[in-house]
Amino acid sequence: MKTVNATPRRGLSDRTLGTLMLLPALALLLVFAVHPFLASVFDSFFHVDFLTREHTFLGLDNYRRLWDDPATRGAFGRSVLWVAGNVVVQAVAGVALALLLNAGLKGQTLARGLVLFPYVVPAVVAAMVFRFAFNDTSGMAGYVLRTLGLSDSLVNPFADPATVLAALVAVNCWKYVPFIVIVVLARLQTLPGELREAAALDGAGRFGVFRHVTLPWIAPALVVAMLMRTIWTAYDVDLPYLLSGGGPMDTSTTVPLEIRKLAFADQDLGAASALAVCVAILLVAGARLYLRAYRASEDATG
Amino acid sequence: MRTLRPGRALQYAALAAVVLAADLPLLWILCTAVKPDQEIIAYPPTFLPHEITLDNFRTLFEISSFGTYLGNSLIVAACSTLLVVVLGTCAAYALVRFRIPGLRWVGELSLFAYLVPPILVLVPVSQLVARFGLANNLAALVVIYTATLLPFALWTLRSYFHGLTVELEDAAMVDGCTRFGAFVRVVLPQSVPGMVATAVFAFNAAWSEYLFASTLMADPEKLTLSPGLSLLMDQTSVYSWGVLMAAALIVVAPVLVLFVFVQKFLVGGIGQGAVK
Repeated sequence: MKTVNATPRRGLSDRTLGTLMLLPALALLLVFAVHPFLASVFDSFFHVDFLTREHTFLGLDNYRRLWDDPATRGAFGRSVLWVAGNVVVQAVAGVALALLLNAGLKGQTLARGLVLFPYVVPAVVAAMVFRFAFNDTSGMAGYVLRTLGLSDSLVNPFADPATVLAALVAVNCWKYVPFIVIVVLARLQTLPGELREAAALDGAGRFGVFRHVTLPWIAPALVVAMLMRTIWTAYDVDLPYLLSGGGPMDTSTTVPLEIRKLAFADQDLGAASALAVCVAILLVAGARLYLRAYRASEDATG
Repeated sequence: MRTLRPGRALQYAALAAVVLAADLPLLWILCTAVKPDQEIIAYPPTFLPHEITLDNFRTLFEISSFGTYLGNSLIVAACSTLLVVVLGTCAAYALVRFRIPGLRWVGELSLFAYLVPPILVLVPVSQLVARFGLANNLAALVVIYTATLLPFALWTLRSYFHGLTVELEDAAMVDGCTRFGAFVRVVLPQSVPGMVATAVFAFNAAWSEYLFASTLMADPEKLTLSPGLSLLMDQTSVYSWGVLMAAALIVVAPVLVLFVFVQKFLVGGIGQGAVK
């Protein structure tokens, strides 16, 4: 780290000035991140009255109750499918797309911009346009699918228990594949050309170059991007809630939607906090796996 | 003219397909927003409008509170963006340039805060807001958005300040500037691209936020765009799809324009540093 030489000068001392510059941000982080995090952990051991905020100590009862509740187990199962489906599709499609956008095609710069658009589209707008496109009376998507003979169903996929989760994953991937593309493209810019040429000279085919040169090079960045997508997808409320509201009949209620339901519909703040804490613990465990993969990929590239 | 290798042709076809998949939904919003109602409900549906009208926009502002939502979102997004950039820039500078005990700890704290998910803090934060009597007050959203976006701002701006040389600051201070004077006159002008990128990200996030806004703002007069639009969407019997797509277009247009703008700005900003 660079610091400025301590030449005597006018004005506040570095220590005073630094503290003053840092204080507002620090206060906000403490009040809105650290304190609520600790409060959640604390509340998870209590029954919290929704109106009076009165706390009654329950020990691990909230956790035990959640463990026995089929609604929680169902939500966990759906969350696993939701996260795994999203992260796998986004990683594969994101890498493929980044390679395509880095292949030196004409119009590449324009295409990059156009492909990244969905990432900045607000969730509510994405929910609106996909609900409209798939609505059962005048929906364009249903009409196209029927015309192509790919589907004979008139039913909106967000209202069908058999398809709702897959449909949610598809829309979420539409919005978030660009995130992986951005990260991988940035990493590809730094790939030394000599590495590829050397591999090609050694007789590696196009797939060989990808497998032994490109993939190891982008792996560290990809792993970090997948870690972030895993965390954010596991906690995402917006798209599932706005597209299907957790329905039909709870078939798309993932854990965050269940937390929200426990907290505000059932007014069971202790159980909601306990469920949030469980997910946090699982995600920390998951993050450790990713970090191990990250270190391995870092070592491989040197 | 050179003929295209089959592999290359396939790549172009794939590129076209991907661009279509990414942008057709957005084009679909635009086309529907300017279509008259009878064309929207026609079967088979049309893609490009046969007749262009602005009726949907007129209806939107006349029969819904969309104007109120728009105003609220503008206020909230502008205020939180300003706060995030000002507080984030100051804090990031302090983290990079000063050696004060405990600074490292603050840096790690901000990384932790970056990964704390909104749904985990939703309940305690809403209780906090109620205790301070800020329920149904847009100020609550401004403060919460500032706090939740700060970790990202710190992250981005810190790496930006790391890339700036200290020589110019030293020179300014030797010439009689205070440390803060050097920060304002020397560091800030060099940091504009980083601050713009942070501002665009913050504005987009605040403009789109749904979870806190829908939980904390119950008064219809205080709704921002995301919960407001979600409310309109659940009343499709009242509002036609054309009206809803007009609303969607107004919400998405600014973020797309900002995105295009910031892409160009960032490319232009590189290499404009004071030291060549």
